[in-house]
Formats: sequence, C-alpha cells, structure tokens
Amino acid sequence: MDYLHYPRSLSDLIIAFSRLPGVGPKTAGRLAFFLLQHSGEAEDLAEAIRIALRDIRQCSVCGNYTEEDPCKICSGQGRDKTMLCVVEQPRDVVALEKTGEYKGLYHVLHGVLSPMEGIGPEQLNLSPIFQRLEGIKEVVVAVNPTVEGEATAHYLSKLLKPFGLKVTRLAHGLPVGGDLEYADEVTIARALEGRRVL
Amino acid sequence: MVKMAVYSTDAIVIRSREYGESDRLITLFSREKGKIEAIAKGARKPRSTQRGGTQLFTYADFLLYRGKNLDTVSQAQPKESFIHLWNDFDRTIAASGMVELLDTAAPKEQPEPELFTLTLSFLFLLRHVDPYIAQAAFALRLMHSAGYLPALDECGDCGKSLRGEQAFISAEAGGLVCATCKNNRAVKALNPGSVALMHQLYKADLGMLDRLRWNKKVREEILGGLCFFCEHRLEKRLHAWRQGSEFI
Repeated sequence: MDYLHYPRSLSDLIIAFSRLPGVGPKTAGRLAFFLLQHSGEAEDLAEAIRIALRDIRQCSVCGNYTEEDPCKICSGQGRDKTMLCVVEQPRDVVALEKTGEYKGLYHVLHGVLSPMEGIGPEQLNLSPIFQRLEGIKEVVVAVNPTVEGEATAHYLSKLLKPFGLKVTRLAHGLPVGGDLEYADEVTIARALEGRRVL
Repeated sequence: MVKMAVYSTDAIVIRSREYGESDRLITLFSREKGKIEAIAKGARKPRSTQRGGTQLFTYADFLLYRGKNLDTVSQAQPKESFIHLWNDFDRTIAASGMVELLDTAAPKEQPEPELFTLTLSFLFLLRHVDPYIAQAAFALRLMHSAGYLPALDECGDCGKSLRGEQAFISAEAGGLVCATCKNNRAVKALNPGSVALMHQLYKADLGMLDRLRWNKKVREEILGGLCFFCEHRLEKRLHAWRQGSEFI
C-alpha cells in the first residue's frame, strides 16, 4: 500500500497495525484513523498495552501468562496435583477453566510440532514438563485435533510412557449441535471409537 | 479463454495453516489445475462443514471461487482422510516431508495429473510401507517428474558405471558422481549398498516397496543425500526433511 501521502507518524501507525495477525492494510488504515479521531480510546489502548507488557510474563512452572510467578493455578490450593493437562496455547487454559470440569494443573506448550513450518521440540515449552512429573499420575494431552496436534500427542506420549504415567487424550467426536451428515470420516470414526453405553 | 469464477476440482491438501480468527490458508494440489492457494473461511470453527476437508493430507472434492490473489473454498467434501497418517508419528513426519517437497517443486496452477496420481498413491502406500522408504521413493520419482532426477547408474561426469562402487551425490553435477570426478564439489557420500537401494527405490513397482528393507546407516545416507540434493536443486530449505532426520 502507498503510504507516501500520509504523515510519517500516521504511516508508521498503519504499518504497525498491519503487522498484527489477520489485519490487512485497509483495516490497519481504518484502525489508525479511528484512533486519531478518538484520542481517549487511543490513550486507553496505549496504556493497556504498556501495562500488559510490563506486568504479564510466562509462569516459570507451566508457561501460562500470568502477573505473578508462579501463576495462581500452579500455586493455588484446591487443585488436583496428580493431574497435568498439556495444552497448545494460553487461550486453551481459559477454555478448559470455563468448563469448571477440570481441577488439575496445566502445561502450556506455546505451539505444536509442525515439521513443515520447521517447529520442532526445541521451539516448544516441552522439556520443562519432565521436571514436573513428580507426584503426577495422569497427563491429559489436550492439543487440538489436527494432524500437527495428533503428531505432538503421539510424540509426547512416546516420551512420557517410560515414566509409567497414564497418558490420555481428550475425546474426539461430533460437536454438540452438529450435523452427522456434514461430519468428515475422521470425526465419525473417532466418534464411533469413543462411543459410550447409555 | 474466460476463466470461470466458480470451479470444482478434486485435490490433496498439501499445506494448511491457521489464519485470522477462525480461517485456514491452504495449499491444494489438484488433478486439473495443479497447485492452488486458497482460503477456507471459518474452517477452524467446530461446526464448520469445511473443517474435515481442509485438514493437511486430506483428499477432497473442492468447490472454489476464483479470487484476485487467493481462491476461496466454498465446499470441501472429504473423499479420503488418510487416518493412518494421523495415528502414527513417523507416518506424519514422512508424509509431511513428501508434501513439503511437492509444494516446493510444483509450480502454481500448472496441471500435472501424473504427479497428482503419484502423490495420491504414496499417501495410500503409507498405510503399510515403511514411511521413510516411501518418502525416499517418492522424492526420487518426484525429482524425475520435475526434471531433476539424479543419474543413478553412472557417474554424471565421466559416465563410469557406479554399480558396486562408492558414489557421491552432487546437486551441481545433477546426480551421482564417482570418487575421481567429485573434485571440490559439495557432495554427500553414498556407500555401494545405498546406491543399489536408491536404484530399487526409484525403479521398483509401488506394490514391491513394502519388501524393501534398510538399516540405520543406509537410511541416514539415502535420506540425508536426498535432502541435500533436493534442497540444492530447489534452492529451498526443507524443514520437514530436516526435522524427520532428527526424530528417526
């Protein structure tokens, strides 16, 4: 996009926005002009970004984003310290916590193995998991049910099995409210594998 | 000829990346149109009907809208999901290496029906053949199809027969060279056993590939040599090949 007609600081702002995921040049321009016309919101946004960058860090135990280290879940009472749930992203911790069904600990990988993108075990928060296995009886692998997620789950299970742990995977199947007709064969096959007696 | 705004094709998903809130950017290798870049909007949502059809390695019938830079997936009906590639880590790695090489070697929107059939056959073969044998055999056949096939019988420079001889794979020489001709070129050494097996990997009927066996040394030489050769010929780093050699 041609930014020559904009003042330097405005074109810098548009370029900064367009570096964000999912934001194209047109949206970046709209956001920049909106902030120029609404200086109150712009100040609030700048302050929120500044505070988040200052206060939020990765928990040294689980890798989740937190303001205090270790995070509330790792240091909290009332958590089941025999269960460890491995997730891809910090957002997945929030999704699982919202269910209220899981009371164990978490470990955030910050990605999955992706051979084609050059993401190997070294690029993930993987090795610290082996320092956390004392007292753990079950590891729940809760990465996304994609090819890369499955590869990560198999890799992890291969490494964890020698420790004599129970390694489980979140169930796959039909989404609630979904339509069997539109489900793909992998989903239906997994749903059949995981069928339950009523 | 006027290009249709909407078209249908059967294709294999050879790359699938997350994009934006819930979209997927996919690279398809289709029978009629060759390599196509497309976006599948909302395909990561649990109830999306395109979720299954846009997963990596899936062979599906696609309905696409032609766009200026990217085509848009309107429908993706899976025909084969290759579940065996999901359930086995080594098969995932080998299939990733195969489609990565295809993505690198195949030009955009240039139909290559033979290469399409070859790729589909190898994805099926991965059900029972040693995954890394399949990966090496696929690479040799793809490089032949793309016109980069290394000469496997004789030295690419002096024509000396390499049967029972140590050989060196060289991207610069376009294949194998003998010890005398390797000079100061960047090469990878291959023992006589590796040279003989490479020949079989290239020539054998697909149905015979499950009878081929190799030991660790031969496997490392062949996969390492092919990765070296393909990277130099295609001028691109092959991430999945390199990752694979770390895991084996």
